[in-house]
Amino acid sequence: MRKLWTLYRRELLEAVRSYRLIWVPVVFIILGIMQPLVAYYMPDILAASSNAPAALLESYELPGAATVMAQALGQYGTIGMLVLALAAMNSLAGERHSGTAELLMAKPLSPVSIVAAKWAAHLTVLLLAVGLGTAGAAYYTALLMGHLSWSAVAAASLLYALWLLCAVSLTLFFSAWLRGPAAAALALLLAAGMSLVQSLLPAQTGWLPAALPGLSAAVLAGGAAEAGPVICALLLIIACITGASLQTGRHKLPN
Amino acid sequence: MNDINWGLIGPLLALQLLLAVIGLISLAKAEQVRGPRWMWVLFLVFGNLLGSIAYFTLGRRDL
Repeated sequence: MRKLWTLYRRELLEAVRSYRLIWVPVVFIILGIMQPLVAYYMPDILAASSNAPAALLESYELPGAATVMAQALGQYGTIGMLVLALAAMNSLAGERHSGTAELLMAKPLSPVSIVAAKWAAHLTVLLLAVGLGTAGAAYYTALLMGHLSWSAVAAASLLYALWLLCAVSLTLFFSAWLRGPAAAALALLLAAGMSLVQSLLPAQTGWLPAALPGLSAAVLAGGAAEAGPVICALLLIIACITGASLQTGRHKLPN
Repeated sequence: MNDINWGLIGPLLALQLLLAVIGLISLAKAEQVRGPRWMWVLFLVFGNLLGSIAYFTLGRRDL
């Protein structure tokens, strides 16, 4: 446990040195507060940027608070996921190429603790980013659109964070084998594929982790959460950590 | 558009500025970057959010 804590502190220091602990949350806050602002100023933006017909401007209705909040979280599903996957892609692949992996494995450390420490550091960045981002988005939405249920916002952002964590875990898993960019691309493709399958066959694939964004929007609109996708996502994450640990363990030098 | 509410827009601009400044500091300290440095300066100063994301994810060699 103490070794894991030391490794985690090392990973966190690395996140600070590469400015990841700062820039990723700042990007998420910008994405989060941009959505309610754009929705609020849409008539002005349309009027200023194009020759939109007056009838369109007249008929513009300010969307509801829950809708805007779901759209803000939707930004995290696209740009946010891309950012997280790109920020995580080199964490195992980079060490393998720079030779740090062999150096680490020469020490009496279990591969699981190395991978788990990296995963926990990425989880920290993710939670900080989603937490601050949704707080900013909810503040602006409540200010501009009206009342929001804070407990629903918290539950919805946690569900969304779990979906993003699936993508980050997949990136970590693939980066145990592949070079960083290939790992990120494969993880994003897999996540996009899952989302596509889930949107085409919603009835049969309600248990896929890709159902989490929809679930998060449903919770915002006042619905209840289901356990299926959550359990499936947790299993996927555990599988990713296990797989990455097994592969990392192969770099151990023969005694 | 004359009555811009700076109380609403201000924090957004401040965060964009913060991101660009962190990027420029990181660029100044980085030993190696992909591509010419002046290009990344342009990305960070004029590229808004996407320019900064591009620098942090693609420009830095030591992520």
